[in-house]
Amino acid sequence: MGARIKKAVTLFIILVQTSLLGACSITQFNQLSPAQLAQQGNFVQAKQNVTQSYNKNGNDRLLYHLEMASLLQLEKNYLQSNEQLALALTLIESFYTQSISELALVQFSGPTYSTYKGKAFYLPQIHIMKALNYNALAKLHPDNSEHYYDAALVEMRQLDVFLSQLKEQTGGYDKEQHDDFLAKKVYQILKPIFAPTDLLENIDYKDDAFAHFLSGVLFEQSGEWDSARLQYERAMFMYENGFAKQYKLPEQISEQARFGLIRMMRKAGGYDNELRAFEPTRDDEAKQSANVTLVQNIGIAPKRKQLNLMLRANTESKALVMTPILLGNYKERQAQMRWFQMLHADTSLFDMMQNYMLGDLGDVAMGALTKRLPLGPLWDDAVRLGIVDALQFGARISVTYLEPLDNQVKYSEVWLNGQPITTLLPYHSVSLLTLQDALKQANAEIHSALSREIIKALSARKALHKAGLEQNNLLGNLAKLTTTVVNAITASADTRQWQTLPAEIRVAQISLPPGEHDVTIKTYFRSGHVVEQSEHITANNVMSLWHTRTFANAPNEQTSLTNSTLNME
Amino acid sequence: MKYNRKLLKLVPFAVISTLALSACQSTKVQRIDANQEVALSDKWNGKDSQLVSEAMVSDMLSFPWVNDHLKKEGTRPAIIIQSIRNKSHQHIAVDTFLNDLKRAILRSGQADFVANKEIREEIRDERKDQELNASLETQNEMGQEQGADYALSGTINSFVDQQGGTRVTFYQVDLRLIDMTSNREVWNGQKKIQKLQERSGYGF
Repeated sequence: MGARIKKAVTLFIILVQTSLLGACSITQFNQLSPAQLAQQGNFVQAKQNVTQSYNKNGNDRLLYHLEMASLLQLEKNYLQSNEQLALALTLIESFYTQSISELALVQFSGPTYSTYKGKAFYLPQIHIMKALNYNALAKLHPDNSEHYYDAALVEMRQLDVFLSQLKEQTGGYDKEQHDDFLAKKVYQILKPIFAPTDLLENIDYKDDAFAHFLSGVLFEQSGEWDSARLQYERAMFMYENGFAKQYKLPEQISEQARFGLIRMMRKAGGYDNELRAFEPTRDDEAKQSANVTLVQNIGIAPKRKQLNLMLRANTESKALVMTPILLGNYKERQAQMRWFQMLHADTSLFDMMQNYMLGDLGDVAMGALTKRLPLGPLWDDAVRLGIVDALQFGARISVTYLEPLDNQVKYSEVWLNGQPITTLLPYHSVSLLTLQDALKQANAEIHSALSREIIKALSARKALHKAGLEQNNLLGNLAKLTTTVVNAITASADTRQWQTLPAEIRVAQISLPPGEHDVTIKTYFRSGHVVEQSEHITANNVMSLWHTRTFANAPNEQTSLTNSTLNME
Repeated sequence: MKYNRKLLKLVPFAVISTLALSACQSTKVQRIDANQEVALSDKWNGKDSQLVSEAMVSDMLSFPWVNDHLKKEGTRPAIIIQSIRNKSHQHIAVDTFLNDLKRAILRSGQADFVANKEIREEIRDERKDQELNASLETQNEMGQEQGADYALSGTINSFVDQQGGTRVTFYQVDLRLIDMTSNREVWNGQKKIQKLQERSGYGF
């Protein structure tokens, strides 16, 4: 009778956990995200969505300011956008000091209960966005343009301080990137625990070539040739030494940075020897005389989502076993499975052999669906500590995964007087940056999620023991069920992110005769959809920077010639 | 003994409660002296602006150009501010710094200021309006403006050096005064400020 009750309770727990996990798969935004609403041009609702989802003073306050800043920029409210970005920067600065009490709280609850501190690559994006806003303000207010151009350069100098520090920590791209031998060695040692492949090599965010390039453009626009020259030079070397390869960017872009460098050397004077070394061709001459830079931010960066895993203790093989619980629609389930297989599953030969040696023949075939952590001699300690008992009904572990990258853009062109004059090239992939950051964090995340859930399960069992409920009867099992359910509810992965960041940044530099011009950017999407954005721009003898944001699903009225100027500034 | 044990048991609770209560402290605002420095970060602040302007004006007026001008013209020199460019890594309210400079010069009583281009145009518009609408006795004539003798311009630069939680920020203000008749640079001043900020990696 007792065994039947226990079986029934176990079945009930599995049902409850599965339904809970199903509920947890709902993303933070129940309907459309601010980014999705923004790309439909519905800024009012997008801002309402941000206000409802993030508390200005709560744990997600950084995201409140970042999302608001993006939406305000799209609305052309550049001053307010920069106010929000300034608040975000102040918050990031304050996050340097970590709260010990919050770290302790996270250990017993989950990362979603902590303050969101953003990612390292957010800081350059904030400074870039602020600089572009100041640049747009300068164009809108010619009488006060010097003040706004100076303000844009202040942002670039702050960015330079940050990137110098980042480079000092990571080594940057001073030398050409080869296989990351140290990382390889470390992962070889860790292989028995987690088995990532060489996809984790050379994926650190070490420096930002695009930020340096844009800095060069802004300094050139303000006539500061020396500063511009230095920034173009840094961008050129970084693109050549691995940045372009890491973010799958075309080789030509280091050439573009080189043209900028040559242009600055000529303007500043005194670089005859260096210029001779570049040996410019006649074809290059036109490109070197570029006086208009067009920056196009396209799409939305991929979303972070939640991957649920069930952790059990397998007494027969004396191992902890993790199995993914696939939830959501077909595409999401497929993505979850691929992420698990890519990063965690027992797919290496080493793991297969290990499963075979443990006598778990089922898992030899099931390797792609499970992650086995053999405890070996530590098993007895795990029993003594109560870990095995604590995992009697399993424990839910949640980690993040990134939705597959969807490169929707076929190509993008600049048109003048009804003729295509050049192609906008990808200078940065924020999508790949987000993916590489997620990959980099995956091991640490599963490590801490694993230990957190074990600690939570153990603490709950100890509490039950003290309350005298640690018995194999109905009441005891129901009490265990309750603690398991409570732990499952609090075990959420941290899927928070700056959602309105673009997926890709494209750039074109063109040479136009001084005067007024009507320039059109035509973006061709793989779906066959073409988005046209036009702007009346003024070309001078010095560099002039123009920026636009393009969304794949922009409504038809935004794609028309008259209304498409909405975003462009 | 038993009492002591009970007390000991209460200690962690008391510590946690105190920490929790301190975290719940509500916003508090108090009025303080505008000259008192409240340095919450190493950013350029109002006190820096005041100190730099006072030091630079004192240096500027100690140069021989003031007396030379008095001897030659018999009047106080008139200065116009051309532009002070912010080339630092911080957003600095240049207008506030300029106003501090002007106040320090006017307070010295050794020089006058001529309004800048935008303000001059506004005043000219006002005078045009007076010609049409004000009585003859109260009208101000056109063409009676005082021309500037010297032009003041300069830059604010900065450097940052950082290692972990320690950051040294160095601000340098360079100003120069040009004789508008001869283009001679009659004064060149420089003021440097260095700030050290230390932050802890962990806190409650």
